[in-house]
Amino acid sequence: MKRITAVLMAVLMITGLTACGEADPDKARESIQVIAMDTPMVFTAYGEKSTHAVYMAEDEARRLDALLSRTDENSVIYQLNHADGLGITVGEEVCGLIEAAEAYSQATGGAFDISIAPVVSAWGFTTDRYRVPDEAELAELLTHVGSEHITTAEDAAALDPGTQIDLGGIAKGYASDRVVAIFRENNVPRGKAELGGNILVMGDKPDGTPWRVGVQDPAKPDEEAYAAILTLEDAFIVTSGSYQRYFEENGKRYHHIIDPATGHPADSGLTSVTVVADSAEGNGTMCDALSTALFVMGEERALDFWRSGTYDFELVLVTEDGRVVVTDGLKDILTEVEESGYTYEIVS
Amino acid sequence: MRSSPELRPNFWDALVALAVVLLAAGCGFAVWGGQNGAAALTAVVSVDGVETERLVLADTGETERTVESNGYTLCLRLTETEVWVEEADCPTQDCVHTGHISRSGQSIVCLPARVIITLEGGQPVDNGVDIVVG
Ligand SMILES: [Zn+2]
Repeated sequence: MKRITAVLMAVLMITGLTACGEADPDKARESIQVIAMDTPMVFTAYGEKSTHAVYMAEDEARRLDALLSRTDENSVIYQLNHADGLGITVGEEVCGLIEAAEAYSQATGGAFDISIAPVVSAWGFTTDRYRVPDEAELAELLTHVGSEHITTAEDAAALDPGTQIDLGGIAKGYASDRVVAIFRENNVPRGKAELGGNILVMGDKPDGTPWRVGVQDPAKPDEEAYAAILTLEDAFIVTSGSYQRYFEENGKRYHHIIDPATGHPADSGLTSVTVVADSAEGNGTMCDALSTALFVMGEERALDFWRSGTYDFELVLVTEDGRVVVTDGLKDILTEVEESGYTYEIVS
Repeated sequence: MRSSPELRPNFWDALVALAVVLLAAGCGFAVWGGQNGAAALTAVVSVDGVETERLVLADTGETERTVESNGYTLCLRLTETEVWVEEADCPTQDCVHTGHISRSGQSIVCLPARVIITLEGGQPVDNGVDIVVG
């Protein structure tokens, strides 16, 4: 009888050992770093299917890169840009993205505009061959900018001759929407994704606390310095800042966020705009588009737009005059960074 | 009185007892060993999404690596504690400007060459945040 008890105990121990040896499915973690869409990306997922999930995310980023690239001759966008005014079949997905971009353009009074592409190129931001275009050149290019030059129907699109589009302003946001969908399909309980300046946090951390997201201090772009820290679960966070890409000529600095109204780098008094929204699919694209648009619009118009309630999001604005302006939906989850030297304002 | 042979431990009892002890030890090791066994600081080089080299800094010592990719050449320097790109012929030079990395989780990225150098293992960076936006 005792022997049987001992055998039973041994069996129990074996069961116990198996449980010990296998990682807790909730804590199994896979993280990969890749370059896609001209930007470094990091995908981190937890759960039993974490490995499958992160590699699916990578594949999806590469698929969208090939589909939406403006420079790859095989991409649908390249073909549309070089169709000499003719309509071509771009597929429902691309058509949907163009229409989403059009909607953000309308909502923001043209502050977000995918047809600004040739102007951005004229400044050299697509090729790294920076230059300051003259006014006549910009004026000519601007005649081809605007929603009225873009037509879509079901799975086809057409651009007026001279108009070109670049979905770069929403492509990474859209990719982050796809990542959240892939993570959900794979029952990922928690994870995070960085697609350049587009961040997704899913669930909480393994220790049960929310993710701590540092908003880069625009004044110290090369340092581990933050203008604010946000504690978030299940959220998209996207920052657009003039410090992210710029060049200097004759002592003047020119950054990469071009105001479609002027053809010049937006001079709105802001150094960065961070848009935060819950992780509902579609919000990644929204945060991406709005971070650019609201940077162009500047503090006052950005806050008016937020107050209008057209879309559901929150904001962290960093101003040239040393203020961090925070919308009140973030007031309980934002930590001020004393050593940053910024003064903090909560707005409602 | 009848003696009870059942009370005398025999060979099988000893074997079962040994198995129980070994399993207990194994279980304990699986729980504690996994947590204490953090790998040494390792530089992982990936080219175009494919891992090409894994260098344990403490074992490698001071050394150089030339990484060629996408038409560019990066000259990588490693010591027992840090890694940096000494020289590169890429147009942006971001990889060179990143400077030295020395803590787990830090990385150097060269977009034109499609090269990523990441530090794994060792003590993770604790700067109070899990992720940086911007
Ligand atoms: Zn480089």
